[in-house]
Amino acid sequence: MRRRNELTLLPKLPLLITESADEFDALRDAFEREIKPRGIIEQMYVHDVSAIVWEILRLRRCKVVIINSAFRSALEDLLVQLLKGPGQYDNEVEDEAEALAHAWFTDQEAKKQVSETLSRFDLDESAIEAEAIRRSSSDLELLDRMLTSLETRRNKAFGCVAEYRASLAHQLRESSDRIIAGKGVLRLEDPTSNRPTAA
Amino acid sequence: MASERQIAANRRNARKSTGPRSGAGRKRASRNAYRHGLTLSIASTAAFAKQLDKLVREIAGDTEDTIVLERARAIAQAEIDLARVRRAKVALIERASAFGELDPPQAFSTVTEIKRFFNAFDRGRLIVPKPSDSSATMPSQEPDRSAEAVRRVLPELRKLDRYERRAAARRDRAVRNLYGRRAKRTQFFLIQPMA
Repeated sequence: MRRRNELTLLPKLPLLITESADEFDALRDAFEREIKPRGIIEQMYVHDVSAIVWEILRLRRCKVVIINSAFRSALEDLLVQLLKGPGQYDNEVEDEAEALAHAWFTDQEAKKQVSETLSRFDLDESAIEAEAIRRSSSDLELLDRMLTSLETRRNKAFGCVAEYRASLAHQLRESSDRIIAGKGVLRLEDPTSNRPTAA
Repeated sequence: MASERQIAANRRNARKSTGPRSGAGRKRASRNAYRHGLTLSIASTAAFAKQLDKLVREIAGDTEDTIVLERARAIAQAEIDLARVRRAKVALIERASAFGELDPPQAFSTVTEIKRFFNAFDRGRLIVPKPSDSSATMPSQEPDRSAEAVRRVLPELRKLDRYERRAAARRDRAVRNLYGRRAKRTQFFLIQPMA
């Protein structure tokens, strides 16, 4: 009950309309089971870690889609380069390359033809992927920087929870040591007797 | 280093232009540095101020110690700032997903189009340019559409990331200060000599 109250106080994580709130809740619950947060500060960090991980997953999904969506134009460019004979210009083979690249996604025959063309130059389908990555490298670089920054922040958040707990534990240990040693501890005295009643 | 003559000339020139003089000009110039409003104090809106107060009370507990309360406020403020940046990020992606880009469509999207317009104009023909529709180039299916939207706003997201990191660092510092203060208070009450 207390945990739910704390959660309502924390600002909700905004999600894209295509993202599922239930999936996010499941992710946060998983972190809560692992970290077992106590108090609002720890709850805050768990919420933060969940939000960061959610964003990491979102950007990773994007990364894959960005590479995949560059596949067709990458294949077209590669085919132009491979189909072009000596003394031929790009525009002479562009139509053929475009048609072949288009068919590659659906037609097994076209796929076979592309594989044969690639193997003539000791290449395979990884060359298409490499070209797709090269074409989207500026976007991928930005995405990578953001992912690195998020991962650093996630690790820091874990560190902060540990630091907070260690500090609390240290504080409690020191207090209890002092109480046990009975040194300099404020004592409450019963005015009717000479015996101290509480430490 | 500038010579005496250059310094004198700079001063003379500076006196010639001291910014806008009219009320409207001054008002406009006062918003020159405004970009996204993320550095605006959160207490400036009533809804945020209320949320902030609740969070401060939850963090500080029952204490009336003004220093603890002040530190709890710093934590809450940073936490709400973080949420604000995250909301801004999502809003940017949603906008790009809906419209294809953040800025309104331009009449000319390439230099070639501008050249074509003026060449036709020179020949006495007026071709009214149609603004390019960026949303038409967006993929229609998910998750491709969202991914493309993220790709289109990547530079803006990267800028917002900087604000997010700063807010998180501010919160972490404030948390450290808070438990530092609590530790001192506990020590203070424990070592108070008996009156």
